[in-house]
Amino acid sequence: MHIKHTTLVTSLLFAGLATWAQADEPVLEEDLAQAYGDQTTITIATGSQQSLRRAPSVASVITAADIEAMGATDLDTVLKAVPGLHVSRSANSYSPLYVIRGVNSLLNPQTLMLQNGIPMTILFTGNRGNIWGKLPIENIARIEVIRGPGSALYGADAYSGVINIVTKTAAESEGTQVGVRLGSFSSQDAWVLHGGQVGPISVAAYLHAGKTDGSKEVIDSDAQTRNDAAFGTKVSRAPGTINVDYKAVDASLDLSYGKWRWRSGYKLRDDVGTGAGITSALDPTGKTQSRRMNSDLSWLDAQVLPNTGAGFSASYLYYRQTIPSPLILYPAGMRFPSGLFPDGMIGSPEFWERQIRFSGFLTYNGWVGHALRFGMGHDSVDLYRIRELKNFTFTASGLPVPAGPVKDYTNIAPYLLPQKRTVNYAYVQDEWTLAKDWALTAGVRHDRYNDFGSTTNPRLALVWDARYNLTAKLLYGRAFRAPSFGEFYSANNPTIRGNINLKPETVRTTEAAVAWQPRRDVHLNLSAYRYDARDLIRTSPNAVAGTGLTYNNIGQQTGRGLELEAAWDVARDLKLAFNYARQRTIDKLTNKDAGNAPHHLAYGSAEWRIDDGWLLSSQISRVAGRKRVAGDTRTPVADYTNVDVAITSKQGKGKWDLTLAIGNLFDADIREPSVSPGLIAKDLPQPGRNWMLQASYRM
Amino acid sequence: MIIAAAFRSSLTGNQSLLVSGFAQACRGLVACVLLIFSPPVFAAQVVDIAGLFTYRPDAALLAYGVAVPTDVALFRVAFNGQKAELVAMAAGPQQSSLMRLAALSGSQIAVLYPDIGEPYRSVFTKIIEGIEDKARVRVASYAVGNKLNAQELAGELKRQNVRAVIALGRNGLRAANALEGSNLSIVAGGVLAVPESEARGVAVHSLAPDPELMFARLKLLVPQARRIYVVCDPRQNAWLMQLARTAAKAQGLELQVREATDLKTAMQHYQSIFSSSDARHDTVWLPQDSTTVEESAVLPLVLQEAWNRNIAVFSSSLSHVKRGVLFSLYPDNMGLGRNLAQVALANADGASGLVPLKDVLVAVNLRTASHLGLNLGNKPQQNFDLVFPEP
Repeated sequence: MHIKHTTLVTSLLFAGLATWAQADEPVLEEDLAQAYGDQTTITIATGSQQSLRRAPSVASVITAADIEAMGATDLDTVLKAVPGLHVSRSANSYSPLYVIRGVNSLLNPQTLMLQNGIPMTILFTGNRGNIWGKLPIENIARIEVIRGPGSALYGADAYSGVINIVTKTAAESEGTQVGVRLGSFSSQDAWVLHGGQVGPISVAAYLHAGKTDGSKEVIDSDAQTRNDAAFGTKVSRAPGTINVDYKAVDASLDLSYGKWRWRSGYKLRDDVGTGAGITSALDPTGKTQSRRMNSDLSWLDAQVLPNTGAGFSASYLYYRQTIPSPLILYPAGMRFPSGLFPDGMIGSPEFWERQIRFSGFLTYNGWVGHALRFGMGHDSVDLYRIRELKNFTFTASGLPVPAGPVKDYTNIAPYLLPQKRTVNYAYVQDEWTLAKDWALTAGVRHDRYNDFGSTTNPRLALVWDARYNLTAKLLYGRAFRAPSFGEFYSANNPTIRGNINLKPETVRTTEAAVAWQPRRDVHLNLSAYRYDARDLIRTSPNAVAGTGLTYNNIGQQTGRGLELEAAWDVARDLKLAFNYARQRTIDKLTNKDAGNAPHHLAYGSAEWRIDDGWLLSSQISRVAGRKRVAGDTRTPVADYTNVDVAITSKQGKGKWDLTLAIGNLFDADIREPSVSPGLIAKDLPQPGRNWMLQASYRM
Repeated sequence: MIIAAAFRSSLTGNQSLLVSGFAQACRGLVACVLLIFSPPVFAAQVVDIAGLFTYRPDAALLAYGVAVPTDVALFRVAFNGQKAELVAMAAGPQQSSLMRLAALSGSQIAVLYPDIGEPYRSVFTKIIEGIEDKARVRVASYAVGNKLNAQELAGELKRQNVRAVIALGRNGLRAANALEGSNLSIVAGGVLAVPESEARGVAVHSLAPDPELMFARLKLLVPQARRIYVVCDPRQNAWLMQLARTAAKAQGLELQVREATDLKTAMQHYQSIFSSSDARHDTVWLPQDSTTVEESAVLPLVLQEAWNRNIAVFSSSLSHVKRGVLFSLYPDNMGLGRNLAQVALANADGASGLVPLKDVLVAVNLRTASHLGLNLGNKPQQNFDLVFPEP
């Protein structure tokens, strides 16, 4: 029982007695600086728990303090800081694509996103779900990004990289904080964050609600513009604005008691606009909704027996995609050779999923020179319901045919039938000290899927502590991406016919990395990699001409690149960071650039603590060298330089946090590639200059 | 169920009691034995909560914000026949087997802490949290800026009926010292060391980890260690070296202190230490010393030589672990706060002097441990509060 006493906190800033004014703070800081060292170390010592040390990799960790210094309010802004990671947009609903090391695709299922170590993956699409909105960061304690393969530990989809979002514990969100935020595009947000004790139970709770009209960038010509030209109509909504409006509710509750922890979350994205249109034809009226509920119970004892640790978790995820306002795939009055669509081509694909996952692990370090980890698990994932309303059918070649008014096709010819998947897996990893300063981490994981069969993925990491301030790593790993249910089972649409004979996509990656700290205030990291990706899933024409397209494991690509990172704490009040990544990816089918992913990514940031409580920060990112995919004759996607600035102030004894942030300060014309060969001719425009003002109060 | 509680108490004016102590409790709060030692009085009473001293929430206490759920008992006890102001509060048998038991008296504690930005503020916030947790009395916290009116502060403390002041940081201590003639007992914390003039009549709890704890941890991690070299500036660390000599002797270690009052001499000492060092038995301790433990010249030299010669280096500064020393002890701010509260409550008579930091956490560098060939496998990671390098 924690008894709260009234605490009288009074500030005494009385005037007078100037005899010991000035110069006191530096002296004081000196005392604390001697005990702790630099400010970052104080933050570590007084702040959040450290990341779990699992396996050597090329990784970045972004903490809540880093996020706060950036003045960022959503995940996408934060991830721009990760070397070799480019935040792009999907032509389908403008959802974010986290393109790591040039592995680019329409839905980005090759980047695994975890929340507290549990996959956020949606079965239908294989990614995080297309109706995403944005992810607010107030409840994030840290973000861990692993570049390169991670299937030996994390299983499916840890292909080009893993993004693990770790939410705040009771200790990390200590007390109660309320905040409001206003910004461009009529964006409004409010949240409350609480951390405390109820009896012996630590409680962390978070609630956020927000809405935005979204930026109103203009698209000059869209997929329907092309149809208009081909079929003599004039019904395209272009030029018109993109539709990236949404309403959001996020909630989470984290209860922990001793070694037990029960976390639950809720994420609603409602009235979500269709971006540039689901089929790249502008649709100002279609609205989508996603609802995600998750709950996981875990237990962890790092010393259950001498030298032995153990843990397990059971998790549940419910996800549904619904369409509150039907999607207008092509606008009213559009015509195909198959006929006229007086009301437009309308479709509302909906689905419901539930996923149950169990996992457990044991660690053992009683064998001198070895640190062993064993794990196993079972996933039972179920896309258990679908619903489809539409007003069209298809010809055998995949051409839509008008079918009168909108009807329920759920039981007639739906786009997918409910499906289940079970996965059983086991892994083992040993961190073996080979010789003085040399360690070899070897791991392998075997996954057995009821649909495509088995896959085994090894990982090797040789780490050499060459000097007290220099570490070198050589890494090899194989990873896989499981085919999504859409790719497996898509039906009744001849242009994206599912294929139950699909194999997983695989990738073999070799990496070398060096970390060097030449001075106390300078950190340097360099990594180089090459990979060979096989069995990439793409659609290809069926053997019988004119019968549409089917998903097949036909793609193959190779990539290589390097990433350089530098961080320099110039002075106590000034920090600079810089990173540069370059990559080249070749599509082996065409022997041409795989396209769309930037060859060059450069990022710089500065954090300047102007005065006690005031922090000015700026991020500059340069994105360059985005070639087109083979067959797309458009000029390359234009390079751009984006500058964000933020000023943050802590007032009232640190109780008030005020942030003013300006995104895209110089109003650069930023575009992300549209679907080839150019359904939206001038690509997907991104927000111009925008502002955000935020105030929060800690009770 | 019997709950035994031992108290050491001291009487101050107005029959108020400052009581500190601890109690061990079990589930099912039924009765409690209070042993109160306060020379020349000794009293022992059995307090039967269900009978003699009936569970009796006190309206005045409630006004102070003391919650009274069913597992919290407030009861008054007679003290040596007098009608005393002692109100003991027993709480938390459900929380742990350790029961929190403290006294609430008419007086209270004031904390003076520096008005300073993050991340330093968090350090003081945690210390204050620890103080509040332990004190169980009303704690008034004052953020002290660079400009302060001592008279106004003294008046404020008087109005709040403050008897004990916990001064945190240099600013806090100077503010407390400015309250001359106020008859307050002062305890200082969150500073390294203070000049004699400022420490007069004040118990100063330094941020310098107790050498005894440092050496004990050294022996645990490096069992073969026999000798400790330390280079320090006597102007800063003479007091600590006195303690270190005793601690080393008690633990069978040889302490070699090299004094230096400038960087050049310090560098020469380090060079000579490493050139004649014995990797098996020798170790180097880096104290908190702005003359001899310098970041841009000394630390790289020490780290490189230690790495090349397999010498274990440990430090009193946390960030050095991140750079590559084997381990460090650093402040457990909550614990420090609790300790300061306990001292403030008990130390009404005003013991003075410098006290090293006893409330510590441990940080270790596993990479360095592995390089030194230390097998920490059977010293599980959860024995360390921070582990470097971070993944």
